[in-house]
Amino acid sequence: MYLLFQRIKYVAVLSFILLLTSCSSEDEYVAIGKNSPYQFQIPSNFPEVKQDISNNYPTKYGVELGRKLFYDARLSKDNTIACAFCHEQSSAFTHHGHDFSHGIGDQIGTRNAPAVQNMAWQSEYFYDGASNSIEMLSINPIHNPVEMDETLPTIAEKLKQDSEYLKLFKQSFEDEQVSSTNILKALAQFMTVMVSADSKYDKYVRNEAGGTLNNQESQGLQLFQTNCTACHETDIFTDNSFRNNGLPPNPNLNDLGRETVTGFPYDRYKFKVPSLRNLAVTAPYMHDGRFGSLESVLNFYSNGMQKTANLDPVMQQHGALGIPLTQAEKQAIIAFLKTLTDEKFISNPAFYYQT
Amino acid sequence: MKTNIKNIALFLAFTGLLTSCNNDDSISNGTIDGTFGDVELFFDNGVNGDALVLGSSYTNSNGEKLTINRFNYIVSNIVLIKEDGTEVAYPKNDSYFIISEESKMFTAHLENIPTGDYKQIKFGLGVDQQRYLEGETAQQEFWNLASANNMVWTWSTGYRFINFEGTFTSATTTNALNFQIHQGSNSSTDNYRQITLNLPTTARVRTNEMPNIHIIADANVIADGTNKIILHDNLNPAGTNATVMGGENLIKIAANTLSMFKVDHVHNGAGSHH
Repeated sequence: MYLLFQRIKYVAVLSFILLLTSCSSEDEYVAIGKNSPYQFQIPSNFPEVKQDISNNYPTKYGVELGRKLFYDARLSKDNTIACAFCHEQSSAFTHHGHDFSHGIGDQIGTRNAPAVQNMAWQSEYFYDGASNSIEMLSINPIHNPVEMDETLPTIAEKLKQDSEYLKLFKQSFEDEQVSSTNILKALAQFMTVMVSADSKYDKYVRNEAGGTLNNQESQGLQLFQTNCTACHETDIFTDNSFRNNGLPPNPNLNDLGRETVTGFPYDRYKFKVPSLRNLAVTAPYMHDGRFGSLESVLNFYSNGMQKTANLDPVMQQHGALGIPLTQAEKQAIIAFLKTLTDEKFISNPAFYYQT
Repeated sequence: MKTNIKNIALFLAFTGLLTSCNNDDSISNGTIDGTFGDVELFFDNGVNGDALVLGSSYTNSNGEKLTINRFNYIVSNIVLIKEDGTEVAYPKNDSYFIISEESKMFTAHLENIPTGDYKQIKFGLGVDQQRYLEGETAQQEFWNLASANNMVWTWSTGYRFINFEGTFTSATTTNALNFQIHQGSNSSTDNYRQITLNLPTTARVRTNEMPNIHIIADANVIADGTNKIILHDNLNPAGTNATVMGGENLIKIAANTLSMFKVDHVHNGAGSHH
């Protein structure tokens, strides 16, 4: 009896499917392009990716959709602020010239907009590690009341009114839905393919044409390897850790750093070690954007540190706080850091969308 | 259209094959292998042996008088264990539920559970780290549901496993002040815990019988369990509000929640009841 009932149920489902398909044949015909995996290659000098991207492997249309979303101000409450507003391509997806960015209603945040590049090689995001998932991280800026102040379901409702989006979501995902999940997945796919690996330094490491470092740059690389790679390790230039680098806390902000997320006093004043790629175009520097130049950054590391709670041990191994450097050494390190600029990345039309 | 008919024919042939196979299956223990039924978990929220009534007050053993205004939590990864020890894990994609006193969401309804006699239940309180790291792909639209029920953090991309809020007074705090206890994991500590409960009577799952497993959740245990969380000690610097959302407190609460639930009784048979 039960089996018979099951069979009847199948017939009912089938008739319903038939009904649906016969209706759709009368609908307007919409050409749907076939989706395919995105040509995404891991540069030979890079370590293993830190995110499991197999769950949401980038596809041609998924990336295209993610890029469109990244540049779409409808992701904010009053339709004025897109991701790209604070993450500009020409500045390696940082907010050029801003210590803090102004979000919705011209409100000001408390942290400097971080670069969006080589995201799949990071295990922690934001200066305090508020997210550790490339698919979930977009939730933060979207919901932050001083950034985009919007919710995912509302964004989905807005996008459903746009036939171009209906088509793109349909092409990109098996379930074809304009949904919170698929918005986050598309953004993650776009961020996954935003790889910067074509700087002069990369060419030097891979023995490619255009990869010759001059004397000062070579000297800078040696100094960098001696003094900086304890934190800025691998060709991603971060160990993904949180550290207190001795930056005097700004009393007007009293930013506790990693402690904000974990609640542990031992995380006070610790901030994520950022990558140094494209450094020359991402001024200002530090989590609060206090330094306007690389000279100021190097001056701080050589003699501007303050001993606060949890100051990192690597900053306390030379007698005095910090890293002793002569003027010439600082200039050499800066010359090396400038070889990390990837012109191809900051001008690649694949990462730009004309809105 | 032609392809559709072909597909449907295939589908029919295939399902026919599947269902006919069932006919050969053996009958054991009064249940037919390969048949399925439903199970309902009913969460009955309480405080220290009394019913939880939002807006009413009680005093805990820390000497603090709490008025509870919100008590929501996430129950996940449900596993039913048969008398012979066989574990039946509910499909992960469908295994996340929100229990909310204010929204009157008290049940987790499980479908297609293999028929049999069950004597234990395991479930998680919150969202496991593995699942969380799989990102939105795996979580489907659970974020939306959680968000609508005040169960997400947005300054940090995580879920609140428990949202326990209200006001309190104590010997040193005579004016009622707000408290917020938000239990969850962050990228530093994993506070997801798995809870195993014995069923006082066997839950009989049959195609036409749905057991209702009645679970009591004691909200008092959160701050007043094995570990004590004194709200007054967690006041903000202005002394206007007590928040418990991070650090050691969350690890203590995770330990407390291991004894937050117990199965009160199981209803067997047809019909709906709890």
